[in-house]
Amino acid sequence: MKTDNHKASTMWFTQSLRLLHHELRRGELTIIFLAIVLAVATVFSLTGFSGQIKHAIVANSTNTIGADRVLRMSSEIDSHILDKSQSLALKTARKIETESMAFAGDNMLLSELDAVSETYPLRGELRIKTSLTQTESVVANAPKPGTVWVEPSLLSRLGVNIGDVIEIGVAPLTIAGVVTDIPDRSYRAFIAGPTVILNINDMAKTELIQPGSRITYKYLFAGETQAIETFEDWIKPQINEAQRWYDAKAAQNRLSRILDTAEKFLSLASMLGIVLAAVAVAVASRRYGQRHQSTVSIFKALGATISHVRKLYCLHWTLLSCLSIATGLLVGYGLMLLGVNAIASYLSLADSPLTFVPFLTAIFTGLLCAIAFAIHPIMTLVQSSPLNVIRGFSQNKVARLGWHQLPPLLALFLLLFIFSQDLIMSAALLLGGVFVSFILLLFGKGLMSAGRSVGTKAGKSWHLALANLKRRASENSVQLVSFTIAIKLLLLITVMKSSILSEWEQQFPEGTPNHYLINISEAQIAPLKQFAEQNDIANQGFYHVYRGRLSAINGIKTVDEAKEDIQEPSEAASASKEKQAAKKTAQKKSRQGMGRELGLTWRTELPEENEIIAGQWWQVGEDKPQVSIESNIAERLEIKLGDELTFTLGSDEFTVPVTSIRQVNWQSRQLNFIMVFNQSVLEQFPTTSISAWSISDQDRDMVYRFMADFPTITLMDFAAIMAQLNNIIEQVSVAIQLILILVVLAGSLVLIAQVQASMEERERELAILRTLGARGGLLRNSVLFEFVALGGIAGLMASIGMEIAVYILQSQVFNMAGSFHFQYWLVGIGAGAFFVGLIGMLSCWRLLNLSSVTLIRRTM
Amino acid sequence: MHVNSESILSVKNLTKSVQVEDKTLALLQAINLTVTAGESIAIVGSSGSGKTTLLSILAGLDLPSSGQVYLKNQPLHQFNEEQRSHVRAQHVGFIFQQFLLINSLTALENVMLPAELANLPDAQARGEALLAQVGLSDRLDHYPSQLSGGEQQRVAIARAFIAKPDILFADEPTGNLDSKTGQHITDLIFDLNAKEGTTLVLVTHDAKLAARCQRQVEMDSGVLTETSVEQAVTTEHSSVEATQVADSAAESKAVENTASEVG
Repeated sequence: MKTDNHKASTMWFTQSLRLLHHELRRGELTIIFLAIVLAVATVFSLTGFSGQIKHAIVANSTNTIGADRVLRMSSEIDSHILDKSQSLALKTARKIETESMAFAGDNMLLSELDAVSETYPLRGELRIKTSLTQTESVVANAPKPGTVWVEPSLLSRLGVNIGDVIEIGVAPLTIAGVVTDIPDRSYRAFIAGPTVILNINDMAKTELIQPGSRITYKYLFAGETQAIETFEDWIKPQINEAQRWYDAKAAQNRLSRILDTAEKFLSLASMLGIVLAAVAVAVASRRYGQRHQSTVSIFKALGATISHVRKLYCLHWTLLSCLSIATGLLVGYGLMLLGVNAIASYLSLADSPLTFVPFLTAIFTGLLCAIAFAIHPIMTLVQSSPLNVIRGFSQNKVARLGWHQLPPLLALFLLLFIFSQDLIMSAALLLGGVFVSFILLLFGKGLMSAGRSVGTKAGKSWHLALANLKRRASENSVQLVSFTIAIKLLLLITVMKSSILSEWEQQFPEGTPNHYLINISEAQIAPLKQFAEQNDIANQGFYHVYRGRLSAINGIKTVDEAKEDIQEPSEAASASKEKQAAKKTAQKKSRQGMGRELGLTWRTELPEENEIIAGQWWQVGEDKPQVSIESNIAERLEIKLGDELTFTLGSDEFTVPVTSIRQVNWQSRQLNFIMVFNQSVLEQFPTTSISAWSISDQDRDMVYRFMADFPTITLMDFAAIMAQLNNIIEQVSVAIQLILILVVLAGSLVLIAQVQASMEERERELAILRTLGARGGLLRNSVLFEFVALGGIAGLMASIGMEIAVYILQSQVFNMAGSFHFQYWLVGIGAGAFFVGLIGMLSCWRLLNLSSVTLIRRTM
Repeated sequence: MHVNSESILSVKNLTKSVQVEDKTLALLQAINLTVTAGESIAIVGSSGSGKTTLLSILAGLDLPSSGQVYLKNQPLHQFNEEQRSHVRAQHVGFIFQQFLLINSLTALENVMLPAELANLPDAQARGEALLAQVGLSDRLDHYPSQLSGGEQQRVAIARAFIAKPDILFADEPTGNLDSKTGQHITDLIFDLNAKEGTTLVLVTHDAKLAARCQRQVEMDSGVLTETSVEQAVTTEHSSVEATQVADSAAESKAVENTASEVG
């Protein structure tokens, strides 16, 4: 008896394993398995990957600025500040940052120059290797005078080795080692080129510092918290608009903002995959529940108790979930390695540990998908009556909205929130989704009915197709919502992707001149001009450049958005008007500023490709100080003609009225300036000049040789920079495309699951039609058209839904102005009709090719 | 309640009615029936007469609206679903018109199922032996979809006998088979029945099949009549009741049609 009891307690276990084994082999669980795998893999790879990137870039927070506080400015510091810091016993270090050419023989390379004092860094570690064979790097401060440390990529790109001499400006310096870690690494080096670290005392020898040079001075401070805070309280009121005082957190915030935007986009994209996977699980488990009704009824008729059946299916489902989750983790890990590999040359993630967070998030996602989305069908299944063996089994009960849909919705919200950690984003997606689902149910039914009356006038296949669509309207409504969501999400990704990429493109327009000459001293202008003329090199002349900040508008101080904890909008996309208005009331005493230093210039004549749209350009020789402003910025900062703008240059301040507003063609090959002054405003300030040259490939060597005589001039090859940027964009696109593939896969799973769900019913109908003599072509077309029409309707509704979601996301999350995207409506409808038609046909292919005898035998 | 010690199944004043909108349809009316152990009995009647409804109550799949059902002296009418499951596992075997094998299990696993549910030892050995008896020893690992109709019903027969049930319910066991295969299946059922000494309750509208049973009762519009021994229990109906009976007949017919569609 005891053994019997024992057997009874394990029999459900054996039967459950047996069921799982057979079902897996027969492919009954494939859709559910794949959907969970997809969700888990997506979550794991993205969470793991972005987590590691974030860790590699920002997590080491005390090291990101190499100090406790940094004062960043474009001129040297007043000595009284350093005196004060000494009186508080603070440690200080100095750093000068600029871009310059590094020369080695005939080779030259734009590089990021960091000149540091002996005490640098105050926090974190600067690590170097003095030979390439050395395995362990050592901690260092500043290189000895006369030597430099360089990033490894400089060696190969200039064709030099440790021990060789390179020229920086006019100073020959010996490479004494390679840098492996820079505590306050500038990520501009991604674009500018490899970093060269030299002793700050060598800076004068390079002759790179001239009045008006593009130089950043950083003063690093560290010490006891109390002393630092005292110093901070003392120095803050003295900071002017051209200076920045920040701690590690602020620096981190700046970087985080950029990463957060990227992460938000990626998580948004992956959320779509998860939602779709969950929908696939829901649809497939509903069908699973229906198909298994007979099994449960037979089990019960043969004497199985409800608890036996419940245990059997719980275990069955648990095992399926575990198997799917484990596979998903493996696949996700593989995907993550691919990602880590792809960016290995930009960022090493070797030191960024994989935390348990991606594991937990992914497992949790898998469990939620497997349980919350399947619990209702499985619970209904377990309740199947044994009486069904006599009465027969109900087929394809129409899914109705009810309380049982609450757990999946809650689960979805939980998932979205855990994954995005953004309440607004999750709520917008979910509420938008639910709201749209309700609208779609009504709207979709309406469209299907409308299709029915149109169909009566159309050809026979269309007639049949639309009749079927209408007859299955309730059931189709559920499918339609899913199709719609799938297409909507795909459209959403496409729109977000294209808008983000277009913003990138706007920031870095193509067709700009291929070389910029920067840091040209007054004395160098004449020989350069002559050289360009002699060799017929197209150029736009020389512009004096001053670096300054817009510090007040009509006497009201500007606030740099960057200093607030909100996103810095790009020049093209301004914050929504409501938001600006709200901000205006909140900050009556300040106005929105540019958030960065501007390149200022003066001109006597209106630059080419600039057009005055308001006001008037000044007369030649007009002495009255005035400024002309670029129209987009004027609009964004709400600056009108006659407004008085105050600018800060170093420690100087001046105020001028706006006398004209210019439209600038940013796509042109011109050097463009947001603020252009008349000569009298700026000529008193020391400066260097900038020029843009278009150097043909055959002239390149000749120009480069000539430029070697002017080592203090920075020659930026825009083509090379663009190539590097395009490369980065390309990498980003690949990542986005991978996610799109994931989403399309998940969407396909939903479609297939839905077609399978209607398969038995379709079989029966086809059998009847065949029996009545319908030709194969008619049946094929009717099935095709049914899916095409369904896809088209879904596409139409998806387009509308996409517009709503994009608007919410643009205004609430990405802080952009809302916009319509009608061109994507065609894409949505076309893609919907094509995709649903194709998948539908493929899924039904076997069915359509069955002979009528087989069909009838199978179904009657 | 006194029950004949020899009776394995006894029914007293059993009725079954269903509520359809405002109307009450009487599917079964005052049924009285006693089946003795080892007996074979056929319940015959036309489609929609209520015979399948009766079978589902006799086998403990459904509950009567009123009256009593005793199976192996256990009051099924007082039992809940779980208790009836237990009775079925211990005492009842089934053969259905639709075979009702579990598609995701092999022939052998289908056969083993009742033995496992009843906690019998050697389920596999018994299953293999029974499949051999029905001539399917080479089809143990085949799935139902890989078997013909006749083969599926043979698997179902093996499944019905594996747990050595005290009573076997067969619902139109040859209804989905051609006459030759049907004949073979009938032979198998009666042979095994004789060998195992099982009580057989057979529901059919096939007079030839019914004739092989020791006893026949006839269902007509929810009323049971003993064709050979006992005569009609109740004969008086008002005209209203007669209409209701006709309705109920149509209702059960619709139910049966649905069942046959499922396949």
